[in-house]
Amino acid sequence: MSTVGSGPTGDLLVWSMIIGIGAATFVIRLAPIALLAHLELPRWLKQALRYVPPAVMAAIIAPPLFFAGGEPTMSPDLPRVAAATLAALIAWRTRSTLWTVVVGMLALWGLQAVLG
Amino acid sequence: MRQVPNARSEFTTGARAFVPLSMSIIPFGVVCGAAASTAGMTPLQALAMSWVIFAGSAQIAATQLFAGGAPLLVILATGAIVNLRFLMYGASLAQHFRSLGRRWQVTIAYLLTDQAYALTVVHSTQHPERQDHLHWFYLGLAGATWASWQLATIAGILLGSLVPPSWSLDFIVPLTFIAMVVPLLGDRAMSLAAAAGGLASVLLVLPLKLNLIGAALIGVAVGLSAEKLRVEA
Repeated sequence: MSTVGSGPTGDLLVWSMIIGIGAATFVIRLAPIALLAHLELPRWLKQALRYVPPAVMAAIIAPPLFFAGGEPTMSPDLPRVAAATLAALIAWRTRSTLWTVVVGMLALWGLQAVLG
Repeated sequence: MRQVPNARSEFTTGARAFVPLSMSIIPFGVVCGAAASTAGMTPLQALAMSWVIFAGSAQIAATQLFAGGAPLLVILATGAIVNLRFLMYGASLAQHFRSLGRRWQVTIAYLLTDQAYALTVVHSTQHPERQDHLHWFYLGLAGATWASWQLATIAGILLGSLVPPSWSLDFIVPLTFIAMVVPLLGDRAMSLAAAAGGLASVLLVLPLKLNLIGAALIGVAVGLSAEKLRVEA
């Protein structure tokens, strides 16, 4: 099961990752523009692809609210969860990334100072 | 005052449409550069991520997996899945750009981002009479996005190593994604997809750092089911 460590490491790993994801991404970006000019994606695929952004983004947002400091814990990091909730309200009201980030960071620093 | 649209004016209009977007793209690019550099990549590698991959969500996901010691195949699969949404954008743009030559199609594909897609569709709906020059609008918008993304990455690489960890600047990553995901949540199926993806990413215990892929698939499945139930109800 554990194949970790048998692959490339260090520099080679980083370059393989950059070139591999870059090439895959380019093919994903080019294929529909170059090939689908007169074709349509199947309906089920189009429907499924709509849900990729919310599912992926939420899956990137959630773990850092629980795993502060990189150590997996099952208990939420209170200042982070509270600051993220406030940031979500700001995002809803303002639709501005800048305000969301500024208010979220200030809230986190404030809560960390208060809650130690 | 109404000028006849030409290639240059549409290019400028596109570049100008980038200005409000810069408020979200520049901080995100800085975060990507800083994250790659603090994860242990050389400045050249951190910058290469931004011009070879040129997709922030995949860059962040790959950087986090790399820092966590994930195997190469998992990193590649995760990066590809995060970017699958471009299939949908490309399919939608294809109808506008079908008459262009191969060189234009390659350029348009390389520069494709969430923002370039969304604003180009809006522009083409608002100005159907400028359809013939839509690729110039796109080039102005996506070109400005590309250039800012590279500069922001460089800034992040330079700043990333200067900031002490106690400032918790890694928290900017979830905050940036909160700002991107919240506007999508007007629809119930989209909200459920996000809720399921978020919950699964925390609760799933999968080997080899497959969590993001697993969570994404669960989120998509829940979104589709919610949509299906709504249609049938």
